[in-house]
Amino acid sequence: MPVALSLQAVRVRYGDRVAVDGVTLAAHRGEVVGLLGPNGSGKSTTLAAAAGVIDPVEGTVAVEGVERAADPAGYARRFGLVPQRPALYDELTAADNLRFFGRLYGFGGRELARRVARGLARVGLTDRAAHRVGTFSGGMRQRVNLAAALLHDPPVVLLDEPAAALDPECRDALLADLARLRDDGHAVLLSTHHPDEAGHACDRVVVLDRGRVAATGRPGEVFACRPGGRAVLYGHLRSRPPKFLVRSLRQRLGPAVELGITGNRLRLAADDREALGRGLAAVLAEGVEVESFRTPAGTLERVLRQTRVDVPFGIGT
Amino acid sequence: MTHRLRLVLALAGKDWRLFWADRRAAALCFLVPVVLASACGLIFARSTESKQAARLPVAVVVEDPGPFTRRVADDLLASPRLDAVELTRAEAERRVADRRPGVAIVLPAGFERVAEASDDRPGVELLHHPTTTAEREWAEGVLTETVMRRLARLRYGDLVGDAALAPPFKAEPAAVTGAAQARFSAYTHSFSGMTLQYLLFWGMESGLLLLRERQRGTWDRVRAAPVPLWAVLAGKGLATAGIGLLVVLATFLAGHLLFGVGVDGSLAGFVLVALAACGLAAAGGLLVAAVGGTEARARGVSILVVLGVAMVGGLWLPAFLLPGWVRDAALALPTTWAMRGFDAATWQGRGLADVLPAAGVVAGSAAVCLAAAAGWISHTEGRRRRGEG
Repeated sequence: MPVALSLQAVRVRYGDRVAVDGVTLAAHRGEVVGLLGPNGSGKSTTLAAAAGVIDPVEGTVAVEGVERAADPAGYARRFGLVPQRPALYDELTAADNLRFFGRLYGFGGRELARRVARGLARVGLTDRAAHRVGTFSGGMRQRVNLAAALLHDPPVVLLDEPAAALDPECRDALLADLARLRDDGHAVLLSTHHPDEAGHACDRVVVLDRGRVAATGRPGEVFACRPGGRAVLYGHLRSRPPKFLVRSLRQRLGPAVELGITGNRLRLAADDREALGRGLAAVLAEGVEVESFRTPAGTLERVLRQTRVDVPFGIGT
Repeated sequence: MTHRLRLVLALAGKDWRLFWADRRAAALCFLVPVVLASACGLIFARSTESKQAARLPVAVVVEDPGPFTRRVADDLLASPRLDAVELTRAEAERRVADRRPGVAIVLPAGFERVAEASDDRPGVELLHHPTTTAEREWAEGVLTETVMRRLARLRYGDLVGDAALAPPFKAEPAAVTGAAQARFSAYTHSFSGMTLQYLLFWGMESGLLLLRERQRGTWDRVRAAPVPLWAVLAGKGLATAGIGLLVVLATFLAGHLLFGVGVDGSLAGFVLVALAACGLAAAGGLLVAAVGGTEARARGVSILVVLGVAMVGGLWLPAFLLPGWVRDAALALPTTWAMRGFDAATWQGRGLADVLPAAGVVAGSAAVCLAAAAGWISHTEGRRRRGEG
């Protein structure tokens, strides 16, 4: 498949700080590429550079061979951006939002109506077209957010942690949407800091660490279990437990089991599966309600440990 | 229709829909200036009517039982220039302290000596509220005239007739406004002032909406689309000015129906001033978005600026009630010129040539604000793109 998005030795600075340092990656049509890394690793900046929102100080970014500097409007038409927080007008209906963004891409009349209807059908919101976005759930807003990015059928779709605030059901629906996009021939660049998401949705992952590419390859290869790897469990909690309870749990688990809670998300890591099981039992015994959990094939943390040994860090803690 | 124009209209249409999305808030946009203008018009209409009657409320305190003093007091009570009432000193002091009325003339014990042409002239106390210096001088003038007339009658008796005591001239008041029959209309002035003030507030709200779009991320999504920055700003300005024009039309229509507010002068001049003022509101809104930083910070500073330029520009009070130095300083403000333009085209009944300078100054100010805002936003966008902002 042809290369749809190409970043060559891209370097981005925020003042004196280098946020992205020589990143090279490519996404082909019909491929979902995961941009993986912890907070602050440069994922959002890489996406911003790909979207032309920020100019790299070095390197080139091209969509289907077109660079932004050469043809800004043509470049903008070739990608759809799905921001992390749904960038929509809450006061307008879902259809009005899509109509507005569609007009910005030059559509009007029947063509615009057709694309809006198709966009809403694509994300399963046809029956909510006339409802204000402000009344939607987080998952529905994210779907409208996705539909707005796809109105003009861009060859490249850029998604910035789209599942960050979604419950497991909505997240699975979104990941299924990504699979459909790939099947439709789009090139998808998905930023996430959850290896399980990347493992489920992506054909290839690019792991970023401190602005540099730390690893790249198929998820199975990058997250392959190796001797000495840690056992990890990701869960979704019914509600966020109080801080005192988290402190008490950490004391009870001791150093053998690492506990991280971000919002409603749970992460448990231990040296082996038995310790992990004991940790989960302790969490449940404290009355923390775990709605669902999954154990990924490998962990981002270990991938980074294999490429960088000096700075250990926790993801989502 | 060209693609660029369609883009601008799409962006303006989005703001138009956002404006009407909350219908109650939109209705308040039209209702609030009408209510404020009606209240101000009511207040100033009464005060100007009472000035036409030219009767100064005063209290008269008589502390000398002599017949000359009594006659002077009776003359004061009967004076067509005073709305006088006789009180005791204690009651007069209590009421003057409350400015009901603001001045009291005290004819003290020994005032009778005035009739005796004695060298020992008695003092006459003029009790007054601290804010009624002008009224005190007015009362002193009427008192002097009254005493001198009564004294002339006393000394010269029938030799002096009423005609001889009348002023040797006849004052003929003429309001200088422009048209021959023009009279100051408090309602027209108030509707002009409150409409202008609300236009500025609407411009501010429009700027804050742009800052809100930045916070929500919709600004980045719009900027990621194939839309040049000038089109985004033009769409925003067009929507703000269009809705502002609707506010002007609705407010003046309500003023016309309720209080007979009308355009007695050049209609074209009125339209030009209204368009320029709407442009000023739109440009001001963009300036708020450009330099405001956060929404909360921009709101606080903008309210202060709008209220300041409204007050000094004569939007609340007729400019002639402001001190001279304030009126001189206010010439630097576009609101002053917008108000002058509206006054000239409405109750002053002036022609297009008289309104054009004011409209020109307002339009020029709008252009300067627009250029500054566009430059600032473009600079900020460039910094963000380079990772410096």
